[in-house]
Order: sequence, then structure tokens, then C-alpha cells
Amino acid sequence: MSEPKIKIEGEKWGKERTRADRTDELYAHIPEGDTLMKIENLRVVYRTDDKETVAVDDFTIDIKKGELISIIGPSGCGKTTVLRSIAGLLQPTSGTIKIGDNEVKGPGSDRGMVFQDFALFPWRTVKQNVQFGMEMAGVPKAEREERAMRYIKAVGLERFADSRIHELSGGMKQRVGIARALVMHPAITLMDEPFGALDAQTRNIMQEQLVKIITHSERTIIFVTHSVDEALYLSDRVVILTKRPSTIHTIIDVPWDRPRDRTNPEFTKLRKDILAYLEDQNVMDD
Amino acid sequence: MGFKYDKHNKYHRLGRSAIITVVSLLVLMWVWWVVSTIVQKTLNFNTSPLAYPQDAFAALFDLIKNGDPLEHRPLSDWVLSSLVKFVKGFILALVIALPVGLLMGNFKPVREFLTPWVEVLRPIAPIAWAPIFVIIFQATNGSIMVVFVGIVFPLLTNIVFGVQKIDPTLIDAAKTLGASDAQIFLKVLVPSTVPYLMNGIKVGLGVGWMCIVAAELYNTTLSGIGYFVKFMIDNSSYDYAFAGIIVIAVLGLLTTGVAEYISKVVSRRMGVDV
Repeated sequence: MSEPKIKIEGEKWGKERTRADRTDELYAHIPEGDTLMKIENLRVVYRTDDKETVAVDDFTIDIKKGELISIIGPSGCGKTTVLRSIAGLLQPTSGTIKIGDNEVKGPGSDRGMVFQDFALFPWRTVKQNVQFGMEMAGVPKAEREERAMRYIKAVGLERFADSRIHELSGGMKQRVGIARALVMHPAITLMDEPFGALDAQTRNIMQEQLVKIITHSERTIIFVTHSVDEALYLSDRVVILTKRPSTIHTIIDVPWDRPRDRTNPEFTKLRKDILAYLEDQNVMDD
Repeated sequence: MGFKYDKHNKYHRLGRSAIITVVSLLVLMWVWWVVSTIVQKTLNFNTSPLAYPQDAFAALFDLIKNGDPLEHRPLSDWVLSSLVKFVKGFILALVIALPVGLLMGNFKPVREFLTPWVEVLRPIAPIAWAPIFVIIFQATNGSIMVVFVGIVFPLLTNIVFGVQKIDPTLIDAAKTLGASDAQIFLKVLVPSTVPYLMNGIKVGLGVGWMCIVAAELYNTTLSGIGYFVKFMIDNSSYDYAFAGIIVIAVLGLLTTGVAEYISKVVSRRMGVDV
């Protein structure tokens, strides 16, 4: 195995940034289903002038290569905090996050992210948005164009490649967001309630499309949602968090093949059980 | 034949606003005429300092055709010398405000240090500097400096505001796509500030045009449309002075109109609806 091309080093947290394209190749030696990412004793404390809030505590999990894992929990729990820590957008108070042997020390292109409010660059066209990461990594123009178009086609937006963002609907915007993250071939893709801002119908269509995408290409995805239904429909495993300070309550293996049938009695029963737990936690919002 | 105004018809709407504008300007001429008459009657001047509109327009046509009555220099001469100073002052303001504004917006210590300067200097009417600047920098450069002071603050405050208004999730997105700090600055911060910069330019151009005309009143050299007005008044050629004022108004209208249009186009291009 060759030496990894990028190492995240440096004294200051968040200053050395992975900028490479196709970071998934760095971990090609890890077989499918083995541990790709290790999170150990993650603890995040928010400080304001007069008080400290423990958002996440004692969060430990191994993420397997090629799985889609959902994080779900009562609203106001630390779901997004966990995801932002993994993304490196937030410095954990203590604990370690490792991808392979590389410790996370800030944001980088090895952890692509899809945002709830899309976070697309409004001055760029669809194609230019999808190319952003490759541009940063210095991918040659011809390759950039070709790959961007391939992903834009995969999400069904080829007719809108040269459109500006404000001309798109919410669902279309998020498809751009997904293409922009996936085109980089990150080692891990993080999705922060990606369909939370969409209406129910668009949401279902997007879930089906995501299922198609992940069955065609092997991706490791961490998916934050507050919809139990969505988590069960998409994930290989569902992580259920407790309310603040959030720790892992249970991890459920979802056994069914995709695409899944939401009306399957076992599916409905599991959903009911999880909802009952969340309701028990007293803060429910789905 | 009955004509019915249809507010959903683009041409009807255009025609309506055109008619209203024309009527409004005609009434303005009439008010001007009435006020001139009153001034003439009550003050008993030989030639009223408040010229009649018809005299002012006659002077304007003569000015366009034959140049000014004293030096016989063409109108374009007077106007162009003002425009050149205006553009120089504007470019100077842009060159200073852009980097300083980006620094202030981006780095809190710089912002904290420079904000008191801006807040102390900004409320001073730019024209208050004119007498001093004309002494320090001479007539031409002094006027340029007044324009600079007039434009630099609206530019600066708009740029600083724009940098601070940037959506933090866009920066997060850029980070997760591997952008370095320098790349975030160039590829995210600068483009997202552009609509605010354009707004600053829009405001600045209006202020700047007022400044150049006012600053030229302190000139001693025969240059600029502002000085032209003063020159004519000193010579009691009030009709020509008012012709000059009409030229100033039209040019002011043009500059702000052009700025508004460009700002709209750019903002749309940058994905912001202003």
C-alpha cells in the first residue's frame, strides 16, 4: 500500500485542510464492511458567558465502509453537533475521530457534506457549483467539466446545467448539493437533514433517488434526520440518541434489502417502537 | 372610440408613467416661473438672480451651440473636466475602500480599530474639506480629494456590511469541499460581497457627483461645470448659470441611472435580488 497522499497535520486545529480530490482512494485498502471511521468518547461542550451546555457526551461508534448510517434523536439533541464534529466544522471538547489512521483535525474534502439549506453558491451556475471542489483541488478543466456533467446527469439535472441557483426548486437545489458532494469522491459523505427543507412528496422522490445512487456506487454515508421513516427507509443502521447531553441509546440494524417497502408490517412496527421511545424522551417533532 | 387603461399591459403602464413624468416636469417649470416672477417683483433687481426657465433654456441652447459667453469654450470642455476629476476620485476611493473594507469585514481587530475612524470622519460633509483640500492639493487634485472623501465612506461601509452578511454555511460548504482560507477569501467572500459593493457604488456615485460640483465652487482655475456656474454668477449671467445647473442635474441623473442599472444586472448575475 502506498503512503497516503494527504496527511492532516499542523499545530493549529482546522488550519491544515485536506484539499485532494478522490480521497476515497486513500482508503481503498480497507475492505467493504470493515471499520472506516472510529469515533471515540466524543464530547462537545458549548460555552456561553454564564453557562456550559453539554451537547454530546461519551459518543463512541465505528462506522463501516460502504454503509449508510442514520443518526436520529429527540429534537434539540446533538445530532447536528456530532455531524459537524465529524466534518471538522466544530472542534470537539474531547475525544477523537479517526478515518483510517488519520485523525480529524479540521474540515477537509475527505468528508463531503450536504446541508439542510443547500448552501449552494448563488453566483455560480449548477455546473459551476458541482465543479467547486474539483476547482479547489486543481483538477484539470476538461476532467472537471466531464465529471460534473456525469453527476448532474445522475441527479437528472442535465437540462439545468447552466441555470442559476435561484431558478431551481428546493428539490433541484438539493440534487445539486448532493452532486457537488459526491463528485469529489469523499471518503465519507455527511448529510445534515438534507431533505428537511423539502415538502413531503419531493422528500420521497429524493429518498428514492438517493437509494438509486448508493446502490450504484459504494458510498459511506452518515445521515442526520429527525424522520424515523426516512432513517428506516434509507439506512443500514440507525443510531438513536438520547436527549441532551446526547449519548447513544441504541443502534438498530435494519435488515431489509433496498428499495424498501414502507408498508411492510415489520417496518411499521419498528417505526412505531422508535417513535414510542422518542416520545418517551418527551421532545418529539415528527 | 373608448380607451381603457389596462394595468396588465406593459405599454399602457409605460405610457402612463411617461405622461405623468412629462406633466410633473411641466408643472415644475411652471412653479419655477412663478417663483422667479415673485423674486423679480419683490426684490426689484434689474436681472433677477433667479433666472426665468425660458431664459435658462435659451441660454442652454446657446451654450450647446456657441459655448460660454465669456471664454467661448464649448460646453463639453466644462463638463469633461468635471467628469475626469469625478472618475479619478471614484477610482481612488474604490482602490482604497476595496482592500480596507475586505480587511475590516474579515478581521475583527482591524474592524474594531478602524471603526472609530470611520464613525468620526463619515458624518463630516465632504464639502467641508474643500477649502482645505484646495489649499493643500491645489484646485484640481483638491476637487478629486473631495470626491474621494464623498465616495469612500459609502463604499467602505457597504463592503464591510457585505462581508459580515455572508451566509456562514457557504463558508462551511467551501471548507468541506476543501477550499483553503485563501480560496475561501477569493472564491466565496469576494463574490458574495459584490452586490453590496455595487450598492455602495450606486450610493457613492450620487454623492460623488454632488461633491465634484460643490468642490469646484472653490476653484480658481477655469475648469469644471461647478466652476462654470460660479463663473457665470460672478458675471451676473444668471441665465447661463441656470443652464449650467440644468446640465448638472441631467448628468447627475445619468450617472445614478447607469449605476442603478449596472448594480441591478450585477446583482442578478451574482444571484441576489436587490
